[in-house]
Amino acid sequence: MFLYLNGMLKKNNKKMKSNISWKIILLISVLTVSFISIFNSATQYKLLVFGIFLIFLASFLFKFPHLKILFLILLLGSLLLLVYTSFIQTGVIISGVEFNSSAFEQGLRQGQIIKEIDGEKIENINNYYTLMQEKFVSGEKIKTIIQTDSNEVILFSDNSPNITVDNIPRTQIKMGLDLIGGSRALIQAEDKKLSSDEIKDLSSVLDNRLNVYGITDVNIKPISDLSGNNYVLIEIAGATPQDLEDLISKQGNFEAKIGNDTVFIGGEKDVASVGRTSQESRIESCKESEGGHFCKFSFSIYLSQAAAEKHAEITKNLTLNQSNPQYLSKKLDLYLDGKLIESLFIGKGLKGQVTTQIMISGSGEGATREEAYSDTVDEMNRFQTILITGSLPYKLKIVKLDTISPILGKEFLKSIFLAAILALSIVAVIVFLRYKKIKSSFALLITSVSEIIIILGIASIIEWNLDLPSIAGILATIGTGIDQQIIIIDEAKSGKTLSLKQRLKRAFTIILGAYFTAVVALIPLLWAGAGLLKGFAITTIIGITAGVLITRPAFTEMIRMIED
Amino acid sequence: MKDKIAKLHDKHYKLLLLIPAAILIFCFLYTIFFYSINGDFFKKDISLTGGTSITIYDETDAEKLKEDLSEKLGEITTREIYDIITREKKALIIETKLPGNEARKILEDYLGYELNSENSSLEFTGSSLSESFYRQLVIAIIFAFIFMAIVVFIIFRTFIPSLAIIISAFADIFMTLTIINLFGFKLSSAGIVAFLMLIGYSVDTDILLTTRILKRKGEGNLNQRIFSSFKTGITMTLTSLLAVIVALFVVKSFSLILTQIFMVLSIGLGFDLLNTWITNVSILKWYVEKKQ
Repeated sequence: MFLYLNGMLKKNNKKMKSNISWKIILLISVLTVSFISIFNSATQYKLLVFGIFLIFLASFLFKFPHLKILFLILLLGSLLLLVYTSFIQTGVIISGVEFNSSAFEQGLRQGQIIKEIDGEKIENINNYYTLMQEKFVSGEKIKTIIQTDSNEVILFSDNSPNITVDNIPRTQIKMGLDLIGGSRALIQAEDKKLSSDEIKDLSSVLDNRLNVYGITDVNIKPISDLSGNNYVLIEIAGATPQDLEDLISKQGNFEAKIGNDTVFIGGEKDVASVGRTSQESRIESCKESEGGHFCKFSFSIYLSQAAAEKHAEITKNLTLNQSNPQYLSKKLDLYLDGKLIESLFIGKGLKGQVTTQIMISGSGEGATREEAYSDTVDEMNRFQTILITGSLPYKLKIVKLDTISPILGKEFLKSIFLAAILALSIVAVIVFLRYKKIKSSFALLITSVSEIIIILGIASIIEWNLDLPSIAGILATIGTGIDQQIIIIDEAKSGKTLSLKQRLKRAFTIILGAYFTAVVALIPLLWAGAGLLKGFAITTIIGITAGVLITRPAFTEMIRMIED
Repeated sequence: MKDKIAKLHDKHYKLLLLIPAAILIFCFLYTIFFYSINGDFFKKDISLTGGTSITIYDETDAEKLKEDLSEKLGEITTREIYDIITREKKALIIETKLPGNEARKILEDYLGYELNSENSSLEFTGSSLSESFYRQLVIAIIFAFIFMAIVVFIIFRTFIPSLAIIISAFADIFMTLTIINLFGFKLSSAGIVAFLMLIGYSVDTDILLTTRILKRKGEGNLNQRIFSSFKTGITMTLTSLLAVIVALFVVKSFSLILTQIFMVLSIGLGFDLLNTWITNVSILKWYVEKKQ
């Protein structure tokens, strides 16, 4: 790489005088691409910017210097327009749709942007929530027309659609959970190393379980670390279900038995579908009992043909219940994780029948009626989830669980922003005091800000979530970047016996040395600590690499122009 | 003036080495003492020992909470978070070694309301995970250091000057760690990462110095070359140091991760001034003069 850079330096030196150097053009190009990838504007604006950028490049084929300046100004203008348009978009973005809800069936999907509801323009989430609150105050079934950016959906319901919405993000930069809130769990199979197939199975069960709870923004991935431990990392953006812990760590072994014979177990092999609509599942008869309240729930499930036949086979040999002859002699016992939850009477009409529809029931309790009701809803949800998704194939243990509220995230960003601005200004002032050159300090500021933009641009392109370690990495990059720019300014000044070009080239020798030591020092961090500090290494490596390849050559050029 | 300093330096530069040597010896002794008491080279916070950190957004008095709950939660640390501009109290962070759900339960009973993702943040790290974290981060630092040393040897291909760079990088890390221990700070995983950053920052100026002294013999005498790199290097380290200190004051009490990173860096950069411009310069000067 070093030779390559040297070659480029030599080749371009001759024609540099009359033209803007390729290094500055490279910087402008990378910055343009970064802007396009960072800001969440409509495609046509991005195309416009790209078009102007191409014309700008093409203008170098002609000899009129004014033309280049004109297109450069146009390019800058269009970049500003890009930033502006990303800030004026209105509407709310759908961040989650409950699986199998009517909103889902009618075609609402995650990522769509809701523009209008019942003909009324939706500007932001406050708008959306106020409208929904007012609309469903009566509790009657009413029509809702939702206009999204890709379709129109009509719903009939007595409450707001089962979706979660968010303001449209202004940029494509993805923030980590420690800044926007959400949950992160690291789980490990107890006494077992999972193979990649097993991890895949586990991921799909967990994914389904969370979907049942209406969480669609889940990221599940296997992770291994330096000591060869394997983990599964689960990340959920936004609101966290209270019982996340149970959801991801409890095996959830469901068994329906008659006597000692298993009739069916949870999971799609035996259970074809689980009724979750208001006709098929309900909470009924809340009663006061000694020391509290309890409610009953029931819902119907549909067995697969094989399970239904098994049911017929087992019930065929049963006799009638002696004290209660309209039922069979044995009950259908429902076990969850080995614990008997409910015993259901089997009607005598079902004896030996291949029956696919079965009613499942259970109960929940609490100190007050409300508590009992909500406990029953939770219990029913859990039951249904396990029947739908089946059990996890092995015992799991949570080794790390973070649930982070979004409240402090904004404050965090504010303080980091302030820290960066103050630190950069102080550096610029010191550089000005030291070298007494306002232009050099200004060039240094521009270069450092460009570096931040490039890192953010690349992070948007590779969809890297910027968490706190990543931000620390950006700060580190800017710090070392400034150090190297000081070397460049200084080398340009010193050793006047050599040509300026040679002096700047020598600065690069030092910078490349520092670059390689920094990169190798970061490599172990890509794996250490289950990758939770990977963000630091990634952003720093992106930053210092962009520094050596793009911003430092451009800065050298700026200094050359200033010194000349 | 310049000549006077140069003459003085020519005469005493070997003696100057006694300063870092004395500090290093002190650090060694203190570390042995520290290890004999604590059974480890530094105190670890819950990100490295395992435990729970709960952030609640309300007006609860930290001192009172600490008093009331220290029996149930064991050894706890509390920290308050303020808005950087209005100084309004924003949140309270409670750290304990108990597992997440136990700590939450105790705190919920005390506060009298349920903690959920709307009104609190909870971060729990199991002890087995954090132990392996710790081991791996230490391995990462050792490897980083070795890789750095290899790259330095490749760049300069001479033994003593390369060794001088490595010694001063090591001294930076070791002295910083001792200061952290002296102040009784607990290191988090982020703090260990900061030591990684320190390797990068400290080697920068050493490479600059060594390059100018060994590879630019045509530009003035040895002292002039040392002085020119001193001027550049001191600007580099001072800008970094000031930037880091400013950042430290802004994020202080706000983000534990960043506060620790900036704290370790500012201490380390301070020592880097000493180790580059005394330790490394003296060794290099000695080496060059002996060769002549």
